[in-house]
Amino acid sequence: MRSVFLDAFCCEWLKKRRSLGAWLVVVGALFTPTIIIVVRLIRHAQLAALYADPQFWTSLWRSSWESMAIFFVPMAAILATSLVVQIEVRNNAWKQVHALPLETMTIFLAKFAVIMVMMAQFFVLFDLGIVLSAWVPSLLVSGVPFPNAPIPVRAFLADTAVYFVDCLPIVAAQYLLSLRFNNFLAPIGIGFLGWVCALAALPWKHACFLPYAYTMLDYLKANPGARTIASTDGMHAFAIGWLVLFAVAGYAGFVTKAQRG
Amino acid sequence: MACLETIDLCHRYAPDEAILHGIALSVPRGSVYGFLGPNGAGKTTTLRLVLGLIRKQRGSISIFGQSLDTHRVDILKRVGSLIESPSLYEHLTAAENLALLQRIHRVPKARIGEVLALVGLADTSRKRVGQFSLGMKQRLGIAAAMLHRPALLILDEPTNGLDPNGIIEMRDLLIALNREEGTTILVSSHLLAEIERFVTHVGVVHRGRLLFQGTLDALRRERKTVAPIALHTADDPRALRVLAEAGIDARALARGIVMPPMPPPSIAAINRRLVEHGVEVHAIGAERGDLESIFMDLIGSRAQ
Repeated sequence: MRSVFLDAFCCEWLKKRRSLGAWLVVVGALFTPTIIIVVRLIRHAQLAALYADPQFWTSLWRSSWESMAIFFVPMAAILATSLVVQIEVRNNAWKQVHALPLETMTIFLAKFAVIMVMMAQFFVLFDLGIVLSAWVPSLLVSGVPFPNAPIPVRAFLADTAVYFVDCLPIVAAQYLLSLRFNNFLAPIGIGFLGWVCALAALPWKHACFLPYAYTMLDYLKANPGARTIASTDGMHAFAIGWLVLFAVAGYAGFVTKAQRG
Repeated sequence: MACLETIDLCHRYAPDEAILHGIALSVPRGSVYGFLGPNGAGKTTTLRLVLGLIRKQRGSISIFGQSLDTHRVDILKRVGSLIESPSLYEHLTAAENLALLQRIHRVPKARIGEVLALVGLADTSRKRVGQFSLGMKQRLGIAAAMLHRPALLILDEPTNGLDPNGIIEMRDLLIALNREEGTTILVSSHLLAEIERFVTHVGVVHRGRLLFQGTLDALRRERKTVAPIALHTADDPRALRVLAEAGIDARALARGIVMPPMPPPSIAAINRRLVEHGVEVHAIGAERGDLESIFMDLIGSRAQ
């Protein structure tokens, strides 16, 4: 028997085709790798030494994640979530969605699942982009072979999974806000404010309680020069806790709305 | 048997802003029910309540004999709707828009082409809906509503944005759906002349109150009790004197003499009296007979 949830998910997935949110995921994920490629092509004289370094992949991974963890992941989570929900608002389609023979929970979870899969897609594309950012310069610059050092795939995948968990509180918070406010600027503005607050609070010892701070804290915890003193122990449990809290609050707001569309 | 029934449906958006007052709709199975009323009468609010798009505050709604409160999903499987402007994803094509619904309603993919052909949009496969005209969007909205062959079709002002030819096509389509597939159709409109041509039953709502409900013939019979009587004579001043003597409150207007509503025997008696007093009567009868006139008279006579 076909699952109603699967049908609802496929329906939601189709809605994002050619949408701004779908394009944002691709462009956002490949932005940093593209910049790295361009910079390396400009500074091609230093590439031979760089590519011969046994720590090449770790170094590339760290430098690639810097802008992602601090800026692009929170922004992608804020924008992608708001844009996906905005598809219904902009097309005046909530009323049609609620007139479908679907339970409210199914509608809520199907859209939420699509946003989460989009974020997973964002991370996978970014990881592929990192590999491309190593491969493309070696193709275009003579005398620079593809790095001999093996790609630490397992470590990279583990890191990616951790960053994915880190961004889930932002996704859930933005989902709640986007369902609550029809005006596109409200969730974006509040999300941006949340990110700025998290950024400003990084030196604070309790920064790990802030739902928008986890990707930044995860990146900075391995950086001895970082200005953060927050304990990151149990941080991912906090992230999951925020995810659950925001998701439950979002559903409560969604199901008790007096007017649906 | 009623396909859709509401009992004592009341709604207010603010404590001092009552929109509906005890609406008791009864849409017979297999009927085309015209839900008439001027803008702001409460038509869309009623239809939104019926679809569960607004949380019900008071009253009850049952569709196919089941309560909407407890059987919402089962009911919505058999209901197609178009409320106000069509809900369409403008970045997708017409076929993609229908594919979303086809998946949820679990109808064969071939049905998408069928309904697109039915509404005259078969040749728009690669065009995004954002590039559609208002009329094309309206047609697509109706195609979406009837994709899963619903037993009940709820259409809120479906002819909005359609040109005269489109309106005729739409009317023919709804008539065919009703006759060939037995679809019960609840269609709201303020275009009274348009509704008159294909509905079997009528509900007239004004300021949140249902002023009339019944068959179209019954509504026409209402005319006799609410429509003013127009009188055209060869000598209006003399006719007014005769009528005044008979105690009838008649007024001379630019279009002739107008008298209060009265039953046919009284009209016949006045005619006789005028002739007996030597007044040549050219015409006498209920003023205007179309649905729009009846509707306006109903609003005027029954609303506060």
